[in-house]
Amino acid sequence: MSLLQSLYLPLRLSWRQLRAERARLLAAMAGVMFACVLVFMQIGFRAALFDSATALLSAMRAELFLMNPLTTASFRPEPLPRIRAQQALALAEVRQSVPVYMAQVTWRNPESGTRRAIQLVAFDIESDAMGFNGLAALADRLKQPDAVAFDRRSRPEFGDVGRLLAGQPGTPLPVQIGGRQMNVMGLVDIGPSFGADGNLVLSETNFRRLLPNRSVANVDLVALRLQPGADPVATQARLKALLPEDVVVLTQPELVAWERRYWEEATPIGFIFTFGSLMGLIVGMVIVYQILFSDIAGHLREYATLKAIGYSNGYLARVVLSAALLLAVLGFVPGAVVSAVLYDVVGSATFLPLGMSWSRAGLVFGLIFGMCAAAGLLAMRKLRDAQPADMF
Amino acid sequence: MADPVVLEEVSYAFGEGELRRAVLRDVALRVMPGEIVLLTGPSGSGKTTLLTLIGALRAMQAGRARVLETELAGAGEGQRRALRRRIGFIFQNHNLLGFLNARQNVAMALELQAGLTERERLSRADAMLASVGLEDHRHKPPSQLSGGQRQRVAIARALVGDPGLILADEPTAALDKASGQEVAALLRRMARQRQVPILMVTHDPRILDMADRIVTMEDGRVVPALPAG
Ligand SMILES: Nc1ncnc2c1ncn2[C@@H]1O[C@H](COP(=O)(O)OP(=O)(O)OP(=O)(O)O)[C@@H](O)[C@H]1O
Ligand SMILES: [Mg+2]
Repeated sequence: MSLLQSLYLPLRLSWRQLRAERARLLAAMAGVMFACVLVFMQIGFRAALFDSATALLSAMRAELFLMNPLTTASFRPEPLPRIRAQQALALAEVRQSVPVYMAQVTWRNPESGTRRAIQLVAFDIESDAMGFNGLAALADRLKQPDAVAFDRRSRPEFGDVGRLLAGQPGTPLPVQIGGRQMNVMGLVDIGPSFGADGNLVLSETNFRRLLPNRSVANVDLVALRLQPGADPVATQARLKALLPEDVVVLTQPELVAWERRYWEEATPIGFIFTFGSLMGLIVGMVIVYQILFSDIAGHLREYATLKAIGYSNGYLARVVLSAALLLAVLGFVPGAVVSAVLYDVVGSATFLPLGMSWSRAGLVFGLIFGMCAAAGLLAMRKLRDAQPADMF
Repeated sequence: MADPVVLEEVSYAFGEGELRRAVLRDVALRVMPGEIVLLTGPSGSGKTTLLTLIGALRAMQAGRARVLETELAGAGEGQRRALRRRIGFIFQNHNLLGFLNARQNVAMALELQAGLTERERLSRADAMLASVGLEDHRHKPPSQLSGGQRQRVAIARALVGDPGLILADEPTAALDKASGQEVAALLRRMARQRQVPILMVTHDPRILDMADRIVTMEDGRVVPALPAG
């Protein structure tokens, strides 16, 4: 028997066997599909969490950052002395030093009047240190007193600010922020994260008006923009030597990784999603195992007959494994389609960046494939009960 | 040509130690080329056990056995499996695969042979089904065939690979009188055409007349031979 035949013929046999019992096949497919959707959702949420948690930092247009080493996550910054921003300018490579202020305040929904915490991101708007979509067009108007820009991707609980603004073109929308009357001048794009349901962008001056009790000597983050051609890593080393221990100097990828590590390690969130994926795979494996096992148990005489007429254990093992892999494919395809639809539905309901990608589909297929193969290997042990000597 | 089945001093016991029970004692048996031998005897006399040893479905314990030129004493699973492929088995229950139709069942016996295309397998299966009178039932699963028809499919499956020996254990026991005789006659005719020897266990007195020779067993021993008829 050629290699191709020795793989194809058992595959065909197991397909004929699966096909003969529609109800059992559908049950097995549903089991695999269930596992598939569960894993897709868990992995999707996990990735969306980490992506959204770092969206704000990723949008900053700076090569190096100064941060208090005690800061664990950007939504809860520890302050650092403002003087460090000036000290950094001592290096010729540093072109611009932009203090960034971050805090959470309450926002009153302009439609319903309910209150909710919103993230403030404040800096010198003219510095051009933030790459948020829509910000450039608003830069001038944000210099007016009490002006803010609202993140259009904030959760809907903050009110439909986009529609209200569109209803009164050219006129700012008055809102209550932290007990003060402020004006929404327009919209920018940032996106909510697990730490912040919504964002407001404003100038340093307006931030001080809103939170007059904050010490003027402190900032939350310093974004350093380097001269064209300056090497960020070499500059980072020089800054570390120059500045005291009360600040860390991070490149942008390091800053993003710092934030990400908080969510991965210091919160149970990363673990929860990994655990959820694992549970899905285990449940799926048990279902597939049950189906394959009862398939073998119900066809023991037939397997024993095949052994009696000269089929090898290896051939029958390939029949069982083929069945497992057919179930993997048959369950994965509808599972991936359902997951893509769910990504859309859940993504638009939660404003999380959920989306299907080829690499993720490949990863999940690999997991489902492994799950089914493991179930097949476990079920295969039942083949030993097929004794050709008992056939007569 | 050497005799297809030659047994000498074959003994077999089930169980270990205290529970050890001898089932076959010094059995000698010979089947000659093209010969049809029926094996009878009371229940529990060891007929089926003997058949499973000859069919290489069980490992030998004591004695010498040569089946289709293969020495069975000390043969490993691989050797026994290779021998099984050259034997046509017919069981009391047809043991067809329920999810395959008649021609697919017959073709299964050919899938182990190298060098055959799917087309060749199916046309040989069709020819074999036609010669057992089932050309119109090729596409039916076993569940849509009568008991006699199923057993005829089983005969086609046993014969399609051109075996050197047919082993059958009470192939007519599950059938009524008419279809039992029909199946026995068919098996005899097909074996004669192809010059295939048959060793068949049966209790069925209605089919004893098909034999060239009848061997009777009692309590694990072969009773000295009677002339056929
Ligand atoms: N797998 C087994 N384990 C233990 N004992 C067995 C086994 N198979 C058969 N025996 C015993 O061996 C003896 C011979 O059995 P065997 O099946 O060969 O008889 P038989 O002549 O075919 O009987 P029958 O006409 O009823 O089919 C019986 O006493 C039986 O109980
Ligand atoms: Mg018996």
